[in-house]
Amino acid sequence: MGIPIHPPRFESDLLKPFYDGLAAGELRLTFSTTTGEPVWYPPEIVPGDPAAKLEWRKVSPVGTVYSFTTITRSLLPGDHKAEVPFTVVLFCSDDAPHARVPGLFVGEGPAACGMRVRLSPVQAGDHIVAGFAPVE
Amino acid sequence: MQGSKVAITGVAETPMVRSSPHSLLKLETDACFAAIEDAGLQVRDIDGIVCNRNTHSADEIGFALGLERRPFTAVTDTVGGTAPAGQALVLAQLAIEAGLARHVLVPYAFQATRPGGPYGFHSREPLKADLEMPVGYFGQASYFAMMANRYAHEHGLTEEELAAVSITYRRWAMLNPAAQKREPLDLDAYRQSPMISTPLRVADCCLMTDAGAAYIVSAVDRARDMPHPVVTVAGVGMDTNRWPQSVVFTQKPDILDYPARQSAADAYAMAGVAAKDLDLAQIYDGFSISALLQTEMLGLCGTGEGGRFYLDGHGLPGGRLPINTSGGHLAGGYLPGITLLVEGVRQLRGARGEGQVKDARLCAVTGLGGNSHSTTILARD
Repeated sequence: MGIPIHPPRFESDLLKPFYDGLAAGELRLTFSTTTGEPVWYPPEIVPGDPAAKLEWRKVSPVGTVYSFTTITRSLLPGDHKAEVPFTVVLFCSDDAPHARVPGLFVGEGPAACGMRVRLSPVQAGDHIVAGFAPVE
Repeated sequence: MQGSKVAITGVAETPMVRSSPHSLLKLETDACFAAIEDAGLQVRDIDGIVCNRNTHSADEIGFALGLERRPFTAVTDTVGGTAPAGQALVLAQLAIEAGLARHVLVPYAFQATRPGGPYGFHSREPLKADLEMPVGYFGQASYFAMMANRYAHEHGLTEEELAAVSITYRRWAMLNPAAQKREPLDLDAYRQSPMISTPLRVADCCLMTDAGAAYIVSAVDRARDMPHPVVTVAGVGMDTNRWPQSVVFTQKPDILDYPARQSAADAYAMAGVAAKDLDLAQIYDGFSISALLQTEMLGLCGTGEGGRFYLDGHGLPGGRLPINTSGGHLAGGYLPGITLLVEGVRQLRGARGEGQVKDARLCAVTGLGGNSHSTTILARD
């Protein structure tokens, strides 16, 4: 399996806590200060609740694969032929089962919907991205 | 808004090609002139334009056409097929019923070869750029591949069933001289098609096309004095969900749930018909899996039965419900939504030559775009 190399663009610091969390081996998501519920991806305005703020919280690194796909022709801008194939999963933490985090599938064998996985950040060039490995 | 008050009186499209030397404006206006001619009208007869936010303004199109006055102008704000195959019809009918216009022109053009490619708008989303692109999750093929794998998990989906969608539409394309992809496609050829994002192969994805198309909407009473058999807009339904482009492919609670059931229910109710009454359907096929899902959502088969519907040949020439009789976007050409509507009109006029569906009188046309969906019911008057 390959690793796609396409660094985050970081037009703002909005996602910095997410990547700081990955560097620390943690999965951090945004929650509404009003409801205490996950609000993910972090929106500029919490839907229907302009008074609410977002706060980052550490969530369980263990969860379930909602869906997956193995990419054999990368559609990323630029030439990424040497980086395929790789498998992308949509991960749901046990603490936030409706918030889906895209990440690379780490490990041998095929991914599957419903598979139990654990956060396993991946070094992609000079940056770290979300990765998830099967729970033993 | 009531059904069967307006008709589509003129239709046209430019050749569906992989790469055109012409500009987007040239493609769009060529289609406009041809649609006006098809309707038996002159440019000066057009008094309304519903343009698409992703192409040219009514000012630019009106100037290119040599149009002196334009009392009614509107712009569709949905994306993909919903705008030309559904929302533009709603706006045109409102204008005609309000007495603001008599003949409304709806133009559209698309250039898959434009700078930035067909996925450029995704890369402009900051959340996608920071969360999805770094793990290689980018482009419609990957988004819809996620849906296909989830569908297989929930309902079961064999390779043969998924392939049957593409094979069905290709069979129709082989009967359409204007289709972009006409070589035969059987299961062996499908399996030779390069994989892009499992389980979707090139053959499961819409084509890359440069082309323009346009149609004219007129009041039914006027349409009866125009050149072609009258094809009315018997019903049109539009629905959306609340998930914008930045999250619709990841955070929508059920990624298999397009707002198609409601748009279909509204369209059927407006037309006073049911799915069982349809003679044929043109289903927005950005991908085989999305067409399969809409086939279910329109009630053409049960939930989880889409694969079997296609594998059993129901959508094929001679099948009980022909689907995507131009070849659709997988084989006919990808000019989102509008070419499906044009095909529906031609079928109901009885003007589709070798690909004509016998006694076609009622046709559903769908459009899908991000979080929006439209269903339009066309009827032979």
